[in-house]
Amino acid sequence: MLENRPRRILLVDDDTSLLVVLAEQLRDDGYEVATARDGQEALRRLEAGWPDLILLDLMMPRVDGLALARQIKAEADLPIIVLSAIDTADSKARLLDEVAEDYVTKPYHYPELRARIQRVLRRLGDRIPRQSLVLGPNLTLDLHHRSATVAGTEVQLTPTESRLLHALAANLGETVATETLISRGWADTEEAEPSYVWVSMRRLRQKIEVDPDRPVHLLTVRGIGYRLVSSRDDT
Amino acid sequence: MTTPDELPGGPDRTAGADPAAEAGRAARAAAERAEPEPRRGHGLGLSFRVLLTAGLIVAAVLPVAAFGGIVMAAHLYSDSRVMVTLLVAAIVAAAFFGLLGAAVVVAGLTAPLRRITIAVERVAAGESSPPIHLSGDDELARLAESHNRIAAEAGRRNRELGALLSAIAGYNPAQGTEALASRAGLDACAIYGLIDCRLSLVDPATVPTEETIPGDPRPVRAEVRAGGDALGVLTGHLPATRAWERADQDLLDLFASEVGVALRNAELFGQIESQNARLLELDATKDEFLRSVSHNLQTPLTSIRAYVDQLRAVSDEAASDRRLQIVAEQADRLTRLVRQLLTVTRLEAGVLRPEAEVIAVGPRVRRAWEALNVASVTFEIRDEARGWLAVADPDQLDQVLWALLDNAVKYGGRDGRVEVAIRADAARDRLHVTIADNGPGVSEADRTRLFTRFTRGGTQASGDGTGLGLYVSRQLLRAMGGDLWLEPAGDGRGAAFTLSLPGESPADEG
Repeated sequence: MLENRPRRILLVDDDTSLLVVLAEQLRDDGYEVATARDGQEALRRLEAGWPDLILLDLMMPRVDGLALARQIKAEADLPIIVLSAIDTADSKARLLDEVAEDYVTKPYHYPELRARIQRVLRRLGDRIPRQSLVLGPNLTLDLHHRSATVAGTEVQLTPTESRLLHALAANLGETVATETLISRGWADTEEAEPSYVWVSMRRLRQKIEVDPDRPVHLLTVRGIGYRLVSSRDDT
Repeated sequence: MTTPDELPGGPDRTAGADPAAEAGRAARAAAERAEPEPRRGHGLGLSFRVLLTAGLIVAAVLPVAAFGGIVMAAHLYSDSRVMVTLLVAAIVAAAFFGLLGAAVVVAGLTAPLRRITIAVERVAAGESSPPIHLSGDDELARLAESHNRIAAEAGRRNRELGALLSAIAGYNPAQGTEALASRAGLDACAIYGLIDCRLSLVDPATVPTEETIPGDPRPVRAEVRAGGDALGVLTGHLPATRAWERADQDLLDLFASEVGVALRNAELFGQIESQNARLLELDATKDEFLRSVSHNLQTPLTSIRAYVDQLRAVSDEAASDRRLQIVAEQADRLTRLVRQLLTVTRLEAGVLRPEAEVIAVGPRVRRAWEALNVASVTFEIRDEARGWLAVADPDQLDQVLWALLDNAVKYGGRDGRVEVAIRADAARDRLHVTIADNGPGVSEADRTRLFTRFTRGGTQASGDGTGLGLYVSRQLLRAMGGDLWLEPAGDGRGAAFTLSLPGESPADEG
């Protein structure tokens, strides 16, 4: 494994003064940082080698952040965190659900940003299909759109619910420890506790199980954690 | 009693089951002999009048002949008993033939009348009626002819009306007025069988009415109106051989008025389309404006904040420098105000869709307080809802907490003190967070308008603040299924605001 090698981050922002200071902050925390001032430069840097994570501004000259993120995702499933002054309620920010793992608004609070980067990096190696994941006749997950289809009806998932299901789906049929789920669902700065996971799972069952009292997909493994199963395995 | 066979002078001696039908056939045969040439060539048919006359004659003459014959036969006998019998027989026979004749006349009279009645009823009911063929040239035959003509015209107008309705139904306002007008012109030609026809979208008064010249194609015209407005005029020519009656003009007027409605719809549709396009454009412009405001204000603030953090990280001296701390605080404050303004705009546009995330309120309040960084004010938090989690949008809840805590600091007393209490309403699955200061509280006058936009606490207004905090907070909370209210004034307490949110009770595993 490459656990000891420093994680590489590509930082793309047209504000050069921010590039300098943020790159320094990240390097101080042991990351290997490359920078690019616009989309074209970013694409040139990507030709030289893929980073572990891309930190991307949404509004940039020439190739804008959204177009760049789509272009990158079309080539490889690189995790992307968007760092933008545009608030999350903006229609443009909503388009990012599909291509970005997380969204941090500027001005960022560095410890918060770092915690989000760590959370996304924990997901490296998780492989779930980009297309929808069919778990049975009554449940299909479409985590890249933060939605699920339950008995023919589409339900929206919150970002946290989507992250939790992502962690469970990447280990389909296996038990995922509550502690792992905490680190996947919440950033370190949020000081999450096991009860966060318990309540979230209860709410998730209300959303994705046809009968929440008799779950067939989202199962509790007492004292350990949770298990996501497709209904075929459930015998 | 005598049998019918004994009776002399009968027109047809063949025995039959139905004497009336027999008599009718005989009457028709007699009538044929009397007037062998039908005037109007419908086979061998004779006119109703001829049949009626013949029937009456037969009905009147036969009884008399029978009576006379029997009386004469009676004279051959001297026996008065036989004579009396014969006379009685003669009277009975005369009565019989009289009734027979009457039946023949009635049958002959009613049969064609019944056919006409049925046909007229069908036309009256709006059905098509095949033409009635009656022989002869009398009143009844002319009545049938007239009925046939009316039925044919009603049928034609019905077809025209059907074509008209289906043409109208096909008019789509999205096609635009010009296309509709030219289509309506073509349709009018097809529906009414006109030689030429056009719909001009001009004031009808400017189009002179053509004169009708016998032998030339006949001009027809209808004004196209919608409501009180004249939209145009429909003009065309009818083949000279065709009649044009009042009902035809009515039908053309009907078409013109329906076309008028369709044209008006197309006009309105066009206006709505262009207004919609304009609104979308404005909306996009507004979004773009907000985006650039946000970008252009927050980008420099991001740099300021990042450099302050970096400076404070590299030296202990800088870390404790009060001046750098103020720069950081003010930058944060500006950031929040920009965000609040954006939120107001989104609230007005109704585009805020909060996420329903699970959140521990206590730590969130503490972090919001730490971010305010006011060392001069005492802060106390009492969490009576251990284990409870709120369901809210994290970013939006942060905005609310910041606004409420900032208010509590701003309007608090001299030795500032802010108290926060978190309680659970288990019966209704809700969490309540009360944030109280030790200031003078809210005056009666301010209480009512506190949650409206651009309202600041009257006498205490220090001038900073947007006057949007409470308005935005209440709107955000309501969108999250919660609420915000001001608690009644209490002893030794300043203003106390309580926010409520949907809550999740402490859960055990599974």
